[in-house]
Amino acid sequence: MHRIPSSSYLGPGGLDFSKSFFTPINGSDSPSRSKHNTKITVVGVGNVGMAISQIILTQDLTDELILLGVNPDKLRGEMLDLQHASAFLPRTKIRASVDYDATADSDLCIITAGARLKSDESRLDLLHRNVAVYKKIVPQLAAYSPEAILLVVSNPVDVLSYVAWKLSGFPVNRVIGAGTNLDSSRFRFLIADHLEVNAHDVQAYIVGEHGDSSVALWSSISVAGVPILRFLHQNQIACEKKTLENIHKEVVQSAYEVRRLKGCTSWAIGYSVASLARTLLRDQRQIHPVSILVDGLYGIEGGQVFLSLPAMLGRNGVLGITNVSLSDEETQQLRNSAKTLLEAQAQVKNFIN
Amino acid sequence: MHKTPSSSYLGPGGLDLSKSFFTPIAGVEPPSPTKRRTKITVVGVGNVGMAIAQTILTQDLADELVLVDANSEKLRGEMLDLQHAAAFLPRTKIHAAVDYDATAHSDLCIITAGARQKPGESRLDLLQRNVSIFKKIVPPLAAYSPETIILVVSNPVDVLTYAAWRFSRFPANRVIGSGTNLDSSRFRFLIADHLDVNAQDVQAYIVGEHGDSSVALWSSISVGGVPILSFLQRQQITYEKKTLENIHREVVESAYEVIRLKGYTSWAIGYSVASLARSLLRDQRRIHPVSVLVNGVQGIDCGNVFLSLPAMLGRGGVMGITNVHLSEEEAEKLKKSAKTLLEVQEKLDYLLG
Repeated sequence: MHRIPSSSYLGPGGLDFSKSFFTPINGSDSPSRSKHNTKITVVGVGNVGMAISQIILTQDLTDELILLGVNPDKLRGEMLDLQHASAFLPRTKIRASVDYDATADSDLCIITAGARLKSDESRLDLLHRNVAVYKKIVPQLAAYSPEAILLVVSNPVDVLSYVAWKLSGFPVNRVIGAGTNLDSSRFRFLIADHLEVNAHDVQAYIVGEHGDSSVALWSSISVAGVPILRFLHQNQIACEKKTLENIHKEVVQSAYEVRRLKGCTSWAIGYSVASLARTLLRDQRQIHPVSILVDGLYGIEGGQVFLSLPAMLGRNGVLGITNVSLSDEETQQLRNSAKTLLEAQAQVKNFIN
Repeated sequence: MHKTPSSSYLGPGGLDLSKSFFTPIAGVEPPSPTKRRTKITVVGVGNVGMAIAQTILTQDLADELVLVDANSEKLRGEMLDLQHAAAFLPRTKIHAAVDYDATAHSDLCIITAGARQKPGESRLDLLQRNVSIFKKIVPPLAAYSPETIILVVSNPVDVLTYAAWRFSRFPANRVIGSGTNLDSSRFRFLIADHLDVNAQDVQAYIVGEHGDSSVALWSSISVGGVPILSFLQRQQITYEKKTLENIHREVVESAYEVIRLKGYTSWAIGYSVASLARSLLRDQRRIHPVSVLVNGVQGIDCGNVFLSLPAMLGRGGVMGITNVHLSEEEAEKLKKSAKTLLEVQEKLDYLLG
């Protein structure tokens, strides 16, 4: 892809001082193919796509960032707005395009494109609209970057991760959905805020569907290594099941609340996805609750389904699913979540081919 | 300000773990007033205010961040969206309020409030609307944080910085406008992009009015220490004055272009202001072209006016204005800029009394 000058007056035809400014060393070779730059493609430049892109930029996670969308004006405007910050950022090549050739050889493709969830609309309601959009996007992404990791953010994220997997033909370790990574962060925030402790010291997972049937793993919550349920028991702090359900419901509702108050969610999902990008590209082998293919685990039957479980992520995508121990009730809730998702997947199976 | 619980079900009346979870050390004293934390207030939670707030958060520049706006729903939505990222960020206290008591003892107050520049609207057209808004904002900000630094971002920034100075009655070193910090970044981006070099190695200032009558200091541009104009002369690269003017115009136009393409600008100004925040709060003594009181400087003696010159910024605000060498033509243009701004300010004296 040849370089497009940013100024109309600096360069051939205008003021051109680039040829004599720097002198190359004699006998230099060109960069070898193995001297690879990290390249991230973000598909969709709405509030979510741009929050993700900007945080990735601020956190210096990539050498090259490609914005892909359908609206060329919006694309160009967003690209310029990021490029104008060059004096305040490490140098990152930022490009915007409506064509997929610009995305070639990406290490990570983040898909945020799709219709936005309306207030009070459930994520599953979006489904059909977004499958059609994915049919246009995923095969091309996969063709231009056959080694990439696909990270699905659009909702409903679990079913769309399944769709992306089918449409890409990629092995399962390289197709991941943002899943409940953010729900878990919201959960950890509530607990951390209550205890006035740093959220990083709170281990807490919400798993299953990123949506109404998600499952809070109360049996696995610990703060600074202290398991919470056991702590309650030891300190004879009574706790009604209803209270735990209410706290979980608060987490699920909080996404809808933000949407109602400010029109969309952007920052939190931006940080959440940037965190996944870092773990993947820098091979951090950190555990995140993300949407992955679960086939036969936890007694989930009925077929292949994508839903969130704590998974170790690294440069090769999903390195493994954590063998977290679930209570009987949590296992049942997880199976119910899977059932909901399998039904949704069944609705789109024909659509994909 | 007492702590407002984030969850309805975690705390008194719900599940309360907090009393027994951590045991304080015996004989602990409360934090002394000198153990201060860095507190930043951002007034206005539109696209610019939020891009600034979020970049400050990602770059870990404050211990406490207060968002102020008139729209309480939007405010709460934005605050929640940032808080939900707690698991991915260093711990920062984030508050949102419509009242100014929440802003007490801020180290830095960033004002972005005001009507947004419409496509095709010049910055001066916004003026009267925004001065009235500042009349409501600045006095309470100053009253609650008498030691703070005020950083004005709203447009037209130079005149509004003057208004903020008058309304706050602060000494001039503690009232700064974001000025041409971003224009200069755009300028540096164009030159750096042409030379395919890192923008941080390009020293280039645009000064004067942040707007149509800004002045590009061609005589002060250097790349890797090489002054550009003398380089062109030595290499016998001819150029027309018109070309230089066109490049400068491209910079001025690029803001309008982004507004036309994506509806507004946000990311670049976000990074620009976060960069100023860092220089101020971390006492970096870095030179930024920002809007400062220039009466008596560089031959400008027409009266009290704020416009951008390269100034050294640190914990005390404006530590000094760089005695940059201006060509005769540049000095003339600057004086003209000052005169234009002074004329506009005179029209507002009735509002500023």
